Amino acid sequence: MPVLVLSTSLVPAIVIFFLAEAQQRTRTLVNIAGALAKLALVAVMLDGVALGVAYETRLGLLPGLDLLLRVDALALLFLTLSAFLWLLTTIYAISYLGQGPHLSRFFGFFSLCVAATTGIALSGTLVTFFIFYELLTLSTWPLVVHQGDARSIAAGRRYLAYTLAGSAVLLLGIVWLESRTGPVEFTVRGSLAGVDAPTLQAVFCLLVAGLGVKTALVPLHGWLPAAMVAPAPVSALLHAVAVVKAGAFGIVRIIYDVYGTTLLHELSLGIPLAAVAAFTVIYGSARALQQDDIKRRLAFSTVSQVSYIVLGASLFGPYSTIGGLAHLVHQGLMKITLFFCAGALAERLHVHKVRELDGIGRTMPWTAAAFTVGALGMIGVPPIAGFVSKWYLGLGGVQAGHVWVVLVLAGSSLLNAGYFLPLIYRAWFVPGAMDRAPGRERPFWLIAPAVITALASLGVGALAGLAMSPLGWATLIVERNYTP
Amino acid sequence: MSRTGPLLLWLTFAGPLAMIAVAPLSRRPLRLLPWAAVPGLATALLAPLDIAMEQPAVLLGLHLRLDRMAAVFLAFGSLLWVLAGAYAQSYLAGSGHARSFAVFWLLTLAGLLGVVLAADVVTLYAAFSLMSLATFGLVIHDRTASARRAGLVYIVLAVLGEITLVAALMLAASGADSLLFADVSAAVARSPWSTAILAGLLVGFGIKVGLVPLHVWLPLAHPEAPTPASAVLSGVIVKAGIIGLMRLVPADGMPDAWTEMVVVLGVVTAYYGVLVGLTQTDAKAILAYSTLSQMGLLVAVLASGLAAKAAGTLDAVTLYASHHGLAKGALFLAIGVVAACGARWRGPVLVVTALAALAIAGLPLSGGAFAKLAIKDVAGAGATGTLVAVSAVGTALLMLRFLQVLSRAPGKPAETANWGLLVPWAAAAAAAFAVPVLWGPDLAGKPAAAAMSVHGLWTAAWPILFALAAAVFVLWRRWRIPLAIPRGDLVVLGETLLRRIGAGLGRLNARLARLFQRRRRWPAPSFDGLDTLEAALRRWNLAGPALVLVAALIAIALTI
Amino acid sequence: MLPDLLAVGVPWAVASIVLPLAVALAAIALGPHARHLVLPGALLGAVIALAAAAQVLAHGAWHHAVGGWLPPLGIRLRLDGLAASFLVATAVVACGVAGFSRRLFEPSARRETRAGFAFWPLFFVMWAGLNAVFLGADLFNLYVALELLTLTAVAMVALDGKAETLAAAIRYLLFALLGSLAYLLGVALLYARYGALDLGLLRAAAVPDAITLAAGAIMTAGLMAKTAIFPLHGWLPPAHAGAPTPASAMLSALVVKASFYLIARLWFDVLPAAATVETSQLFGALGAGAIVFGSLLALRQEQLKLVIAYSTVAQLGYLFLMFPLTGSAAAPQPWAAAAWTGGMFHALAHAPAKAAMFLAAGLMIKACGDGRLAPLAGIGRDLPIACFAFGLAAVSLMGLPPSGGFTAKYLLLTAALASGQWWWALAILAGGLLAAAYLFRVLNRFLIAPAEAAPRVAVARRDQAIALALAGVSILLGLASLVPYQLLQIGRPAAAVGGLS
Repeated sequence: MPVLVLSTSLVPAIVIFFLAEAQQRTRTLVNIAGALAKLALVAVMLDGVALGVAYETRLGLLPGLDLLLRVDALALLFLTLSAFLWLLTTIYAISYLGQGPHLSRFFGFFSLCVAATTGIALSGTLVTFFIFYELLTLSTWPLVVHQGDARSIAAGRRYLAYTLAGSAVLLLGIVWLESRTGPVEFTVRGSLAGVDAPTLQAVFCLLVAGLGVKTALVPLHGWLPAAMVAPAPVSALLHAVAVVKAGAFGIVRIIYDVYGTTLLHELSLGIPLAAVAAFTVIYGSARALQQDDIKRRLAFSTVSQVSYIVLGASLFGPYSTIGGLAHLVHQGLMKITLFFCAGALAERLHVHKVRELDGIGRTMPWTAAAFTVGALGMIGVPPIAGFVSKWYLGLGGVQAGHVWVVLVLAGSSLLNAGYFLPLIYRAWFVPGAMDRAPGRERPFWLIAPAVITALASLGVGALAGLAMSPLGWATLIVERNYTP
Repeated sequence: MSRTGPLLLWLTFAGPLAMIAVAPLSRRPLRLLPWAAVPGLATALLAPLDIAMEQPAVLLGLHLRLDRMAAVFLAFGSLLWVLAGAYAQSYLAGSGHARSFAVFWLLTLAGLLGVVLAADVVTLYAAFSLMSLATFGLVIHDRTASARRAGLVYIVLAVLGEITLVAALMLAASGADSLLFADVSAAVARSPWSTAILAGLLVGFGIKVGLVPLHVWLPLAHPEAPTPASAVLSGVIVKAGIIGLMRLVPADGMPDAWTEMVVVLGVVTAYYGVLVGLTQTDAKAILAYSTLSQMGLLVAVLASGLAAKAAGTLDAVTLYASHHGLAKGALFLAIGVVAACGARWRGPVLVVTALAALAIAGLPLSGGAFAKLAIKDVAGAGATGTLVAVSAVGTALLMLRFLQVLSRAPGKPAETANWGLLVPWAAAAAAAFAVPVLWGPDLAGKPAAAAMSVHGLWTAAWPILFALAAAVFVLWRRWRIPLAIPRGDLVVLGETLLRRIGAGLGRLNARLARLFQRRRRWPAPSFDGLDTLEAALRRWNLAGPALVLVAALIAIALTI
Repeated sequence: MLPDLLAVGVPWAVASIVLPLAVALAAIALGPHARHLVLPGALLGAVIALAAAAQVLAHGAWHHAVGGWLPPLGIRLRLDGLAASFLVATAVVACGVAGFSRRLFEPSARRETRAGFAFWPLFFVMWAGLNAVFLGADLFNLYVALELLTLTAVAMVALDGKAETLAAAIRYLLFALLGSLAYLLGVALLYARYGALDLGLLRAAAVPDAITLAAGAIMTAGLMAKTAIFPLHGWLPPAHAGAPTPASAMLSALVVKASFYLIARLWFDVLPAAATVETSQLFGALGAGAIVFGSLLALRQEQLKLVIAYSTVAQLGYLFLMFPLTGSAAAPQPWAAAAWTGGMFHALAHAPAKAAMFLAAGLMIKACGDGRLAPLAGIGRDLPIACFAFGLAAVSLMGLPPSGGFTAKYLLLTAALASGQWWWALAILAGGLLAAAYLFRVLNRFLIAPAEAAPRVAVARRDQAIALALAGVSILLGLASLVPYQLLQIGRPAAAVGGLS
């Protein structure tokens, strides 16, 4: 079954590569078919895993070293998010790029990128995770460089410099660990025995540093704002669905499935990681305050928001983990809404700067409404999704004995309000320039994804109590696997 | 009835939410406004007490409960919303942005109903923040420069309040075993950070109530909002803070150090509101400062009552709040009526408004007297009791000042009478008189006749007589009010301070950016040396010896 | 009928040398019509190689005494896992290159060109030479094969007759001959000392005395000159860059590896006892130097083929990192001889990847008529398959998963960290990053949107597909790496596990 899910995005990727530029309809058909097939399979697996069914496929690379694809609850959380958002991003990209150049190449790498994300979600061993983690870098680079102008090439070069250096550090960490313990598999609550503490600490730092590049922890976040030159669907993909989440997901795997909270507690590695994450949360929001380009502001907001997940995971409390995992999905939904809106505004009204946002509410009401829902969710206004995960993070932090977490959350919410409310204010309450006649919200499929994801983040927040909601699923993960 | 109870609760909540969906699309959104609060009113009057509704799926578990306090708040709140809604229909008939006003009006109503009916902390916070954010839309409705400034000050303080509140609630809820008020307030008492939690609650709700240092937004926002909105703001929404405090402050009261501090804060707010209110020249500003002082009074009474474990504190505060809500709503509506009606109607309108105004100060035989009596018992005989009594004088003076300013307000030519405004205002004034008397007794635990007794009459009357005497004396001597404090007093200081900090940050930021820029230009490493070495290696006279050298190296390595 | 075909007696080894020679002779006889012979010949060679590998898998390593004479008089051919895997690698690359250049060297109607006539015989003789080197178990026989290889390679480089390529070819010839003579001197010393030339006999008799050590040192230096290791690499870049595309593919992918194969045979099979820790560290140092030096120079080149040539210099450095790391797989790894297998894996994965890269580069240069990097801007639109092949090959060279290069890098890294020699691990990682630097510099060109659409010569999609297929083989080696791993373990020398003392 896992190979089936993986192939729902690998096969379209290969097929699309060989499609000529002109075959627009077949390419769209293949894309959408792949996305729908993946969603169907994920649905099947969702209730399967809920009942405890285990899906697994093993491919031997070297004796003892396997490419293991395994579907467990945590994998499904990330998989459901990427499958759902991939469908929407594809639809959005098709109408956003319209007749642009190199479309076969774009959608080929686009599907490859999601295949890599699926692989990351399903990976059962450290090496499998690394293989798909690298495949993700390789498949996202052409997307960042898609437009081919000087700026995107420079952004691509910077992206590569960061991510390849990160992957070298990650590989060093993985191999150093595996040279001591043999190939490491993700088992519940980790399985590292007989390795001395300093090595474990050094390896943990290497692993987190390697993954930290994609999670955009502070010193390693430089590539994220620079990658904003890419077209909107790519930045939506990078920020909300694939790249940034892969890093955070990796750190969660390392903490819970490789090391286990008890071991990390003894090695006292939780606090430094929480401190770095907290600093990133504040730093990202503070830098976002200074940006006047909308997408750069959203980029820095992503830098800070993803560190919530890391903060939640590094506090080892059940509540904070639930909060972190739920935020993985919530942030994805909210942030992709914001990017869809930013992309639509840039595409239809050529609005790139914050001060050009005046009067958007009247010209593109649906986009502005979706943007408002996403922004309010980011600030943590109930009943939108952001509040739920912040609430659990706060509770978890206090229960784990770290009261300063509540201060960090409060400070960050304040900064979020600081850089999101002015945008909403300009959109709705400041009269816009006269040339923006209303009725510019065409084509339908450029606007609908943003509205859908906005409703989703509202629904996920309002109905957080349901068992099948991200929060319910995160609770299932924590109860089933990680309660100490 | 048991089945319909939760249904009614759900209906009160669903009514406004459904209308929000309809409002942006309908051609005449204002016609929706009066009907929005009707389900709420029906529930308050018809539904039996102590019905509860629980939806575990919604937002970490939605718990609604209609206890006696909630019923009273729901009743007078919905009543005022219905009347103000009808009033707004004709007040905003011609003005622009009608659709946005309707949407924010309904959102604020939904938020308020949530706060009143909430039974758990998360629902309370969700409704509270929804209400606070939606009020911004009402405050800024006229889109004038002063309205935008008021809106800015309001939103900054509202967001600060919300974030402090959520932080405090997180601290409290982490210790509690469920999110219901009973467990949370118990957890507050026993949690190691109880002082921090209480401070957070006080700041969070204090901003909404307008305790002194945090009050600056109230005198700016209420006057700027359109009249029906300011009526509702001063009448009902300000009381959300009181509801929050009543729900969450631990039943056995705060530690006594806290109680004194809160009482002092409340009393200071009461007198500060009166003093600054007297200097105002705009009728709405005076009313705003009067709300400010009344709320301060209520907080003081609540704190001292809880600490002294006086029986019926919550009921007395609720009674007083309900009377104040209706009366203040009527006064705000009166301002619009006076401006819109001709001279023929001015006389009777002024008389009725005077009665309502003095009722707030405790005019004998009025609902206000009854409410004042109730909170006097709770405040007890000590210092707070006397201060509460004396504050009645201040309020009376402020009301007289309001009537003076109102009477001088310009009106319309003789005959015009804007029935759309007159009828809702009249109903509000009547409600202000009648309603507290209706449910007053069972709340105050005393028969209505108690207010009739000689002692009751005298305690109600002397402050007003004293105020009247003082007013006559001032008029006779034609003293001018010496001081003209700008509306929002402290905020003016705050703004200049903030502007200076902003400029400083700007300069720092620019310097940082320049530093950041310079760092990036480090020189690219030049590898020209490599090319020369490469070329040399290719030439024969170096390649041959290189081979011999390598052979020698290997031989040496082998023999070591 | 099939099983007995793989019986121990069936001489697949000999066939793998005889067939290419036969085809070469036939090619000379047919002259301009030789190209009809190419495809069947190449495919038959591939079948023989696969059969040899299957034979080894089925029955393990064995010696084939040519003409029934046993050593020390007779010459033996040794067919073990290592030899079989190199045979298969050679066959794959040779088929690719043959398919690629079938239409390249058509005899033009007007006059008979030297290339048209000479390419195929040289190609098949080179193939036979390669097979002879991989199978040889007799030192002098290996010398003969080595010379055969060198001469055909030099002739191939000079095939086009351009002025600067001639100079490069002559320099290559001198270097190679110098190397071969040094090797011959060593062989003579060993023969004088032990009176035997067969690897098995020598190993049994080898004693680390002065003469043996001197012979070992000289032979290794000579072979290093032919493998173009760091200080002695001067001749490789101009030769490989100047040669015609199929020639440079064969040279970089296979010919350079033959001499490395001999060094590995020499130290692991013949003189494991003589090797000291210092020698292996010296080899490691030379390898690391080659990685860094080759990569930095590749970063500075403006010609596409020169970038790839210097990349070969760098990638060969990895092979020499194998020597210090052998014998260090600690207990937890479920596989033994991590470093030895890793090194060989790297050689195997590098061959198809480098060949694919050279073929793709040749197509691109033909398409835009200019060897420099700048005019390549935006070629991604015109030759998508060739660019994709170049990309896949680059992934394997950088050692990024899921390629064969990654498996090799993983094995070498595990060995390095398990044995505590973390500095080699850093060298490997640095090599990967530097490779990424100079390869992405080229890949960037493909995706740049050109200011104005440069005129492009049309290139057949079939040739691009061959390059893609070769690159795919290198990626496949990463995913289906279990079978090659097992093949390599058959007949693995003991020193590979125990380490060079």
